[in-house]
Amino acid sequence: MQWLYLYFPNLQLDSLLHQQAYNHACVLVDKNEVVQTNSEARQLGIKIGTGLGQAALLSAQLKVIAYEPKQEQRLLAQLAQRLYQTSATLYLDPPQGLLLQTSDMLRLYEGLAPYWQQLQQPLMERGLHYHYASAHSPLAAQVLARAGNDRLLTNQGEATGLLHQLPIHSAGLNYKLSLQLERLGLNTLGQAQALPRSALGQRLGQTLVTYLQQLEDSSAPNRPTYKPPEHFRQRLELLYEIEHSTALRFPLKRLLSDLEAFLAPRQLHAAGLILGLEYREHTSERVYIGCSDGEYRAESWLGLSMLRLEQLKLQAPIIAISLKTKGQIPWAPLSAQLFEPLGGKLTAGQLISRLQNKLGDHAVQQVYLRDDHRPERSFYQGVPQSHYQAHQATTYLRPSLLFTLPQALNHKPDQQWCILSGPERIQSGWWDNVSICRDYFIARNPTGQVCWLFRTPREEWFLHGYFS
Amino acid sequence: MALLQLEKERLVWRARQLTGPDHRRQSSFYPTLDAHLQGGWPQTGLVELACGPAGIGELRLLFPLLAQAQSRLQVWINPPAELNGQALAQHGIDLSQTLLIRCQNPQQALWSAEQSLNSGCCSHLILWAPGLTAPQAKRLQVSAKGNQALMFWLHPQAEPSTGALPISARLSLAPLATGLRLQIHKYQGQWPQSSCQVDMHELWPSLAIPTHLPTHHGPAPSSTIAALPFKPR
Repeated sequence: MQWLYLYFPNLQLDSLLHQQAYNHACVLVDKNEVVQTNSEARQLGIKIGTGLGQAALLSAQLKVIAYEPKQEQRLLAQLAQRLYQTSATLYLDPPQGLLLQTSDMLRLYEGLAPYWQQLQQPLMERGLHYHYASAHSPLAAQVLARAGNDRLLTNQGEATGLLHQLPIHSAGLNYKLSLQLERLGLNTLGQAQALPRSALGQRLGQTLVTYLQQLEDSSAPNRPTYKPPEHFRQRLELLYEIEHSTALRFPLKRLLSDLEAFLAPRQLHAAGLILGLEYREHTSERVYIGCSDGEYRAESWLGLSMLRLEQLKLQAPIIAISLKTKGQIPWAPLSAQLFEPLGGKLTAGQLISRLQNKLGDHAVQQVYLRDDHRPERSFYQGVPQSHYQAHQATTYLRPSLLFTLPQALNHKPDQQWCILSGPERIQSGWWDNVSICRDYFIARNPTGQVCWLFRTPREEWFLHGYFS
Repeated sequence: MALLQLEKERLVWRARQLTGPDHRRQSSFYPTLDAHLQGGWPQTGLVELACGPAGIGELRLLFPLLAQAQSRLQVWINPPAELNGQALAQHGIDLSQTLLIRCQNPQQALWSAEQSLNSGCCSHLILWAPGLTAPQAKRLQVSAKGNQALMFWLHPQAEPSTGALPISARLSLAPLATGLRLQIHKYQGQWPQSSCQVDMHELWPSLAIPTHLPTHHGPAPSSTIAALPFKPR
């Protein structure tokens, strides 16, 4: 079996700086020690392991960010998710490595070069620095990659040769062990491999023997392979704080293009997205963006999201955003539209989603009927549904415009009014405490409006609607 | 050649030629109105209806048309009261194709109207708005024309807005005993007509004032109104 190891020494910093124009020295610091640097910082002489105080002396405008192992793990999982489209068997090696089994994939890509080209694409898109090496065993690939070999070796002999020349201190052994080996006068890995294993085991412990065995062992590591998540969930930390909701467009675009890359190969649509906005010194907020028909394209989602975000007032500056899907539905072709003569640009569902995102969910409604004799309860307005259930309408003539609250008439309709029909008595609702008892009349007032009036038992008159 | 094409589409017309119905109109299902409008409502575009007070029969004028065309959405924006689903269903309107939009401010209403028209999935749009400026009317007219939609703009003034709006038709409505009197102020492709009477008596007999009675002096005999005593429950 053939293995490829990818090593990302600057994973968190690279992701943070990607697509955010920043050209000053910037370092990640863990326990007062620099752990990741950008190229500007390296030019100033800041190295991995430099103390924070010394680094600050080297550059006055140094930007210092805390190293977060959890965030880096998330980034590694996101990267694996993307690479999974190219390579089937993946192992995560936190915090900064990915192990890929290549031998099965070579047949598909017809050679190592095209396969490698496919793999490099997403890494370059994300602006990541990486080291890589391929070898006959997982550990050999890892050791060579971490040593910065950056070579794709196909035959075992070459890899073994490189391992032989590898200095002990860069072989990935722990500090104490490599010091012991160097004190024995063993400066390269080859010198250690040449010694009898049993003697090495007796003097330096079993760890070294296992290590040497694993260097030659080409079988798969004893842990589960990477399984992509079923639902999309991603978080993006911002280098700058964002104070206007419209400025969220650019970071959001990044997340949405990842969403598209997630949904498209699975032939899924997202029915809704939940956008999490993390505020500085304020509890975070969640914004729902809906699309009833489902959608996967980043561009459409961006349009919908911006409609919603334009309405939003940020409570505090935003330091990070996250995105997850709410409801993933299988992609279905729009076959109903095939014979439609007028090629619509949007479907009804897309139009409704767009309106809802701009105006709010309750501004866009459909009218539904209900079996009830009380006029104000015989229909209701609700959120549009794709499957509308038809309902039999009443046979009595009803006004097309109805007031939510009947308007009291100051006096009883006089001679100026013309009663056209009535009375129609509606007495109902005694079972649910909204009981009504009304005599309805259709009447025309002096201005020519055809009104729907009713009279209560207490001889009060109300205007309830118009036969518009 | 170009002129012939324009004439064929009635973008340019000769006064003497205007006889007979235009095939690019959709019937209003009111024979007298169809006759006056040379075939009915325009296929596409923006029509202004100055209704005066709500409830004189302005929607009954449109119901037969809306009941016929239901392959695409019919959008209602900002009606002056709640749209009664029972009444719409009675008049043959498909509620599954009916969308109701309520907006807080006029700008949003216009935005919704334009979005609905531009989506291409809306065949009729009815907007209640107090006034439109010429640029707004032009945008809606272009959107409606470009997307095969007919839009009605209803407002509560008795007279159409002053100033020449670039729209397909402008009419004002007034109540009559048996229907509506329509004043046609502008109609693209023909001379403005003086006025016409639309008889709704046949479709809604119970909403018309019986002919043997004087128009505005209904009987309203207090005896009939009070005839049914309420029994205490």
